[in-house]
Amino acid sequence: MITSAAAPEPTAPTSTAADWLVGSAIIVIAPLLRELPLWVSAGYLVAVAWRFLHTHWRWHQPGRLTRWALAVLTVVVVYRYYGTLLGREPGVSLLVLLTGLKLLELRSLRDAALAAMLLLLITLGSFLYDTSLLLGLYTVGAVVAVTAAFVRLQHPGLPPMRIARFAALIVAQAVPLMLVAYFLFPRLPDALWGMPPSDSEAITGMPDQMRPGNISALNTSDAVAFRAYFEEGPPPPNQELYWRVRIFWDSDGRAWEEGPPLFARDVLRVSGEPVNYRLVVEPSDKKWLPVLDVPTEAPSDLRSRAGFIYETARLRHERQTYDFTSYTRYRTASLSEVERRRALALPPSTSERVRKLAATWRTSAKGDMGTVRAALAYFNQESFFYTLTPPPLLGRDPIDEFLFETRRGFCEHYAAAFVTLMRAAGVPARVVVGYQGGVYNPTGNYLIVRQADAHAWSEVWLDGAGWTRVDPTSAVAPTRIDYGMDGLRRLSSQGLPFNSAAAAAVLRAMQLPWIERAWLRTRLAWDYLNFSWYLWVGDYSLERQTRFLALIGLTEWSVPVMVLILMQLILLYALLQLRRRRPPRSRDIIKRHYEKYCRKLARVGIERRPNEGPLTFAERVRAQRPDLAPAINEISECYIALRYGSRGGKEEVRALARAIAGLRA
Amino acid sequence: MLNKFYGALSQLALARSMPVSLGRTAVGTSLHRRSLYILPTREGLYYGFMLAVMLVAAVNYANGLAYALTFLLAALGMVAILHTHRNLTGLRLSAGPAPPVFAGAPARFTVIAHNDSGLARLAVDIALGGQTGRVDVPGQGIAVHEFTVPSRVRGYLQAPPVRLSTRFPLGLWRAWSRPLALSARCLVYPRPGPERALPETPSVLAGREFARNADGEDFAGLREFRHGDPMQRVAWKKVAAGKGWYTKQFAAPAGQVVWLDWDALHGLDEEERLSQLCRWVLMAEQQSLAYGLRLPGLVLTPASGAAHRDHCLERLALFQWQ
Repeated sequence: MITSAAAPEPTAPTSTAADWLVGSAIIVIAPLLRELPLWVSAGYLVAVAWRFLHTHWRWHQPGRLTRWALAVLTVVVVYRYYGTLLGREPGVSLLVLLTGLKLLELRSLRDAALAAMLLLLITLGSFLYDTSLLLGLYTVGAVVAVTAAFVRLQHPGLPPMRIARFAALIVAQAVPLMLVAYFLFPRLPDALWGMPPSDSEAITGMPDQMRPGNISALNTSDAVAFRAYFEEGPPPPNQELYWRVRIFWDSDGRAWEEGPPLFARDVLRVSGEPVNYRLVVEPSDKKWLPVLDVPTEAPSDLRSRAGFIYETARLRHERQTYDFTSYTRYRTASLSEVERRRALALPPSTSERVRKLAATWRTSAKGDMGTVRAALAYFNQESFFYTLTPPPLLGRDPIDEFLFETRRGFCEHYAAAFVTLMRAAGVPARVVVGYQGGVYNPTGNYLIVRQADAHAWSEVWLDGAGWTRVDPTSAVAPTRIDYGMDGLRRLSSQGLPFNSAAAAAVLRAMQLPWIERAWLRTRLAWDYLNFSWYLWVGDYSLERQTRFLALIGLTEWSVPVMVLILMQLILLYALLQLRRRRPPRSRDIIKRHYEKYCRKLARVGIERRPNEGPLTFAERVRAQRPDLAPAINEISECYIALRYGSRGGKEEVRALARAIAGLRA
Repeated sequence: MLNKFYGALSQLALARSMPVSLGRTAVGTSLHRRSLYILPTREGLYYGFMLAVMLVAAVNYANGLAYALTFLLAALGMVAILHTHRNLTGLRLSAGPAPPVFAGAPARFTVIAHNDSGLARLAVDIALGGQTGRVDVPGQGIAVHEFTVPSRVRGYLQAPPVRLSTRFPLGLWRAWSRPLALSARCLVYPRPGPERALPETPSVLAGREFARNADGEDFAGLREFRHGDPMQRVAWKKVAAGKGWYTKQFAAPAGQVVWLDWDALHGLDEEERLSQLCRWVLMAEQQSLAYGLRLPGLVLTPASGAAHRDHCLERLALFQWQ
């Protein structure tokens, strides 16, 4: 193969190379289009289009003065728009617009290389808005595209497919080194300077009030509220998965709210096994955190209230991770006077019918526990229905209206009615809102709890047991508690009643057809990928790094040690890469033997020159090492006979191999 | 063990101290790792600056993906070192034949880059005497680039040293070799002098008569046509018969020759004489004369034909050449 002299070294990027830059420019801006103000995106795209038109139709290219004027104008406009040049939005806008301007000025290869680097910076800018797995994967493509543009600048003549393959190859070669650096590079405990708040999409948190219909409003959303990762073993059964968020003490008969916060310390006696879990909470517009009933250990930077309620010190705009320990078997020990008074306060609007119903239970049932049982039996046996679309309660006393007229409601209806009845019967009771259940992802051993899992239940104070959870919903629709919200939806889609379906029918209804099962499994696998991505990329903080390093056996470490290890690894990598590739093994067995013979002699300093035939080489060896002469003669004779003679049997080849093996140079 | 190590070390030291200590094999000069240098280009420095900016952003925003991108690009830069370096290592250079030229005309040197590995070497810049050529050397193949170097004086013109460099693949690094001496030289004939009449000697006249009269009588045979042979000597019958191009050769009887004599050129200095003789050789050959050359200490017996002409010109070129 011969290639003849090519064109002289180009000084300006060729039009194809410029086109590749234009292509990369569009690829890198795509994830940002949603985030940037329209005029910024438009300005950038106009510049990119202009570049393209200039390349192909010789459109006017703005001169140096125009470009400088445009640059100054850009800075001024961005400043006027944001009121500052610092921070994420103005920074990224400025970067994007100035990159557009740079694309108009591709007079030399250096300009083009600079533009390519700016494109890489834009990619980084898009990470300030989104760090999802999808964007990560997309970025790999973007990096390959920019790398290909770099290569194209250096060698415009290569076929595009070859450049693309080559770019992908060198990016792939960079990955191992990147991974090492990524995991070992020391992380800082805090930002270098203040981070501007980002506005990633926050889910709607638990409302500050519970009114008929406002918890069920959450249930239409399949957005993830949080994930709970269980470090040891599977999570507790669905019936025990009560995630408390808030406690509502006070009511005006319609709305329930927390009222004046109580800071009493809860005294707790626990039994059974502790459950350790890590909460990964999606950003929300509330500071409250869901915790599994009931937590015994919580991160110290959280604030707590009476009734095991936790909130963060400030609103968080990013996903947050917290480690908790909970016990699902517990007893609380004391009830303060304030708590008792508030847990018995009956809304003045409570109707006579409601008070009378409670009074009959009080007199007929044995003790507080008996009253609770009587109430649950009432819900279970009277014609109460659990529905996601309850009729509106418009009367003066919604509890009365629900209990005696509509009798169709969602969890908050039952919780509110139950607590009101308990208070009327003289049993201290409170409303708890939070989440119940969750979708278990066996791949990553974690639960996905969605907005749809929002739930309301109640707690009553029983002497000797303390605050005891009573979920009136379970008396009406046990499926909700046993199989979660998805189970309920499945029942409803098959037309089965929520409260009276036979256990066998419910079980049958829970069996998913294979296609749905496969779809669910796919979604769970995807969620797991994203969750792992978050753990290893989004949340790879100092704390997590320390833990990871401890896992691989690096406990005592400091920045210099890390840097040293990093350098060593880089060096090792370089050496491995540089190691001379051995020429491919010859398929020709005779040649292979002869090459071995040459290598043997090369080791003692007699190297065969490329132009030396076997005979001349042998002559030279004999001259340098007379002691080897007999062996050399034999080998050369064998070789020449095999190579150029008519003999070529296996026997001769073996003889040659033997002679070479016997050579002691 | 230790001795071996010191031996290797001293060899290394020796190798480094020699100006061009490249593995000179019989068919070229190959580039070893130690004869290559690599440094970042200005773009490479900008790239480093970009990485620093990225790292600061990643640290400040504690953004895992930004860290990942920064490290991926940093690793890419390092991988590029290896690729740039490997783009030159092991390349072997040799020179193709440099056809003789007359002084003043550009000498043409052909540089051949051999690639013994299976890996293609792309966008390799070969620089020689202020000119640069860019070649791709396919795996197990060669690439050729021709350079022209002005020739000024007669004699051998040594090819200027060659320097290989490359910025492939990303342009962030530039690898280059030490200047490599090519074992190529171009024979430079003297610059042909003015077209003066050939020396008037009886033998010349006789030769001319011979040239006029002897046509078809002293035909000595055919030889393959060479570029530059006079058209009237072409064996047209053969051409017409489709048998290829041949030139008719005529034997010149002894004594019927023109002698191009150094001593006959009075009043000219050495170089002018050589130039004049050079011109005469060309004229004599053009006119299909038999010509001999007499130089101080050297006599070339009369003959004609391209080989003879080249021989005469070479003697002129190398006359008293160091």
